[in-house]
Order: sequence, then structure tokens, then C-alpha cells
Amino acid sequence: MTNMNDPWPDDEVTRRLNDLPEVDPPSTMVQDVMATIARRGAARATHSVTPTKRGEIMAKKVLWIVAAAAALALVAMRVVGYPPVEKGTEATIGAAQRYQSPQISSADVKTGDAQLQAFLQSDVFRQLTTDKAARQALKNKDFQRALSDPAVRAALVSPDVRNAIAAMGAANTGAKQDAMSVRLEAVSAKYSALAAALEASPALRLALVSPDVVAAMGASNALGVALAKPDLAMFLAQDAAINAVMSAPDVALDAAAAKD
Amino acid sequence: MDDTGDTALIARCLGGQQDAYEAIVTRYQRGLFNVAFRMLGNYEDARDATQNAFVKAYEHLDSFDPEQRFFSWLFRILKNECLNVLRARRPSQPVSLDLPSARGADPVEVRERQRAIQLALMSLSTEYREVVVLRHYTDLSYDEIAAALGIPTTKVKSRLYTARQQLGELLMDWRVAR
Repeated sequence: MTNMNDPWPDDEVTRRLNDLPEVDPPSTMVQDVMATIARRGAARATHSVTPTKRGEIMAKKVLWIVAAAAALALVAMRVVGYPPVEKGTEATIGAAQRYQSPQISSADVKTGDAQLQAFLQSDVFRQLTTDKAARQALKNKDFQRALSDPAVRAALVSPDVRNAIAAMGAANTGAKQDAMSVRLEAVSAKYSALAAALEASPALRLALVSPDVVAAMGASNALGVALAKPDLAMFLAQDAAINAVMSAPDVALDAAAAKD
Repeated sequence: MDDTGDTALIARCLGGQQDAYEAIVTRYQRGLFNVAFRMLGNYEDARDATQNAFVKAYEHLDSFDPEQRFFSWLFRILKNECLNVLRARRPSQPVSLDLPSARGADPVEVRERQRAIQLALMSLSTEYREVVVLRHYTDLSYDEIAAALGIPTTKVKSRLYTARQQLGELLMDWRVAR
């Protein structure tokens, strides 16, 4: 939208500002707003039911009874001597057997079903299912391995890293893997953010010598949106999300192509 | 943005007809979302801020003064939502610029240019960014912007002047760096 009353209609800044396109709001905006309003209205109606004085007194009574029972149980345990102490263990002095948890690996980090469900119903997910380049990249095992690495997810948050990869993809669509390695070295020499990310993660290097992955990261806006957020990128490393993207009917792809 | 019918729709909402508000959201979602997107530089954050603003506006619809322009009132609510998002961002947190797909001769270059412009906008202080966004991405007049921001019209003009100077320098740096 351009304001026609600008006193500087033709200057450089106005021209640049006009370069920014109008963005479509999410298609579910109206439904989401109305659903939230309905939900909040219902919650308010529920909360507005004033509890009766009698109900409050009953709740307090129950609380006192439970507290008294718990206190009695503690006293009884003390008197009876429960839990029983085995013979021979009294006054034993030795090194405490402290619990030592193992290092957490990325495989141990699992997101809940609810979070995954929310992701599967998100706009980003819908865009991924209709994006041929994104689906091509998600099929790639090296890319899946890379996304399961927290260092890679953290690196991809940086627009500089994603832009470096995008620049690489634009120049090398259809290139062979060896050529990609050479190109990766050249681009990382130029973009320090990418060099640092490669240093931090060998998995990223493996993924970025794949022409499919690099081309998709350059071409797919949906993938860019997902990778910009580590929590979304984490879902893309999970089989359930990948399978869901892959199993989206080709009809969705055709519809997206027709729209373009 | 056309104000025709807003008063009637608001009256219907206040009378308990929720579907009238659906018409209001449909009418203003595009304008409001684009303002949020330019203020925050991030699609998801803009979606959340716009959605929250609409919900809060509904909940406080009875405090709307029909003498005002409805979009200006909505913007004031949205601005608070945007400020909450910006405050919640850690200072070191990079802004992910979710720009729409570029179409044209060289999509990478177009995206780069749009990214640089949005980055330049994001580097302005909030008070400068809001005048630029309202002036360039809505059809509000100076007086309406002044009303929306609660500042005199002269201040709107001076802020816009300074903001444009700063933008010019930022974009000049970018061109030189390229």
C-alpha cells in the first residue's frame, strides 16, 4: 500500500519502501480470532458462576480433614517405626551412591504429541506439504541427520547462514556432489557465519554437499520459514513430521502449482 | 480502509451479535497484519500480535469512541501487542525476516533487497518505525497518524523526516556494502 500524499513521491527512500510487497495475512486469521473470542467468552461464563457460601465451607472442611489425616499418618509412622530398617544397616557409613545421569543426546529429546499435532496443523506445515523443493529436501537422509543436530538448528536461525546457503544453491542447481564440496568451501570462505556453522557441525557439511538440499534451501520459502525457528526445525527431524509431509496428496502440490 | 458501516457493525457486536465482528476482522485483517509484519519483521509474531489485538479490541469494544477512526483505535491496541513482542525478544536474538517469495528476474536479488529494506526498518527505534509504517503502508493522513499515536501532527512530521534520513543512510550503507 503506498500513500499517495507523500511529499517525496519519487525519492530513493520512498522507492525502496515501496519495494516491500504487501503480505497476505494467514488464511485462518478470521476463524482463529472468532474461535478465541468464543473460547474466552465460554471461559468467562464458567468463571462467572459464583460459588455458594455452602460450597466454600465444604471445600475448607475437606481440606482440614485431609491435612489432619496426613498429620496422623506421619505420627503413626514415627511411632510404629515404618519403613522398617534392615538389620546390619544401622549406622553404616560409606560413600553415597549418588545418581549420575547420562549425557543427553539429541535422540533423547522428544517433543510431545500435542506439540507435534500443533505443528502438523500449522500454516508452515501446510506450506511445506505443497512445496515440491521442501519435500525433496526432507526426503534426504543427510538433511534429516543434520536437522537432528542442535548445532545445525541453532546455526540455521541466522539469516546470514541461510542466505549464504541460498546463494550457493542459486549457483549450483543440478551440480555434482564433488563440485558442491568445492563450492561450499568457496562460499564458506566468503561468509564467516556459514564457516562458523560448518566448524560447529560436521552434519551440516554432509547435508550441504547434497545438491537437492542446497537447491531446496535456496528455492523453498516454506523451508526457510521453518528453519528460521529451531523449535519448528526440530519437528522436521522427526519421522512423524517427515512422513506426514511426504504423505500429503499430490493434489495439494498440483493445486499449489496451479495457483503459481 | 473504508469506515462506512463500522459504526453499525460495532453497534451490532455490542448488541451481542458476534458475527458482526467477523465482518470487522475480515475488513481490517490485511491492513493490521501488514502493519504488524513491518513493525516486527516476522510472520509468526505478526500473526500472533494481530490476532491478540483483534481479540482485545472485541473485549473492549464498549470503550471505543465512535468519533475516532476505528483503524486508529485498532492500531493503538496492536502497537501495545507489538511492543510486548519486542520486549520479550532477547537483545541478542536475531530477527528472522520471513519475507514472501520473490517474483521477478532474479528472485535471490529481489529477496536480498527486500531483506535489506526490512532490516533497515527494524534498525529504526520503535517511535520512528511506527510513523514510517503508518505513513507508507496505510492510507492514514498525518492528522490520523497523530491521533493514532497520541502526539501532535508536527511531531509526526518531524519524526518522519528524521526516520527517512536514517533509512536513507542505512540503505546507502547497504548499497555500498553490496
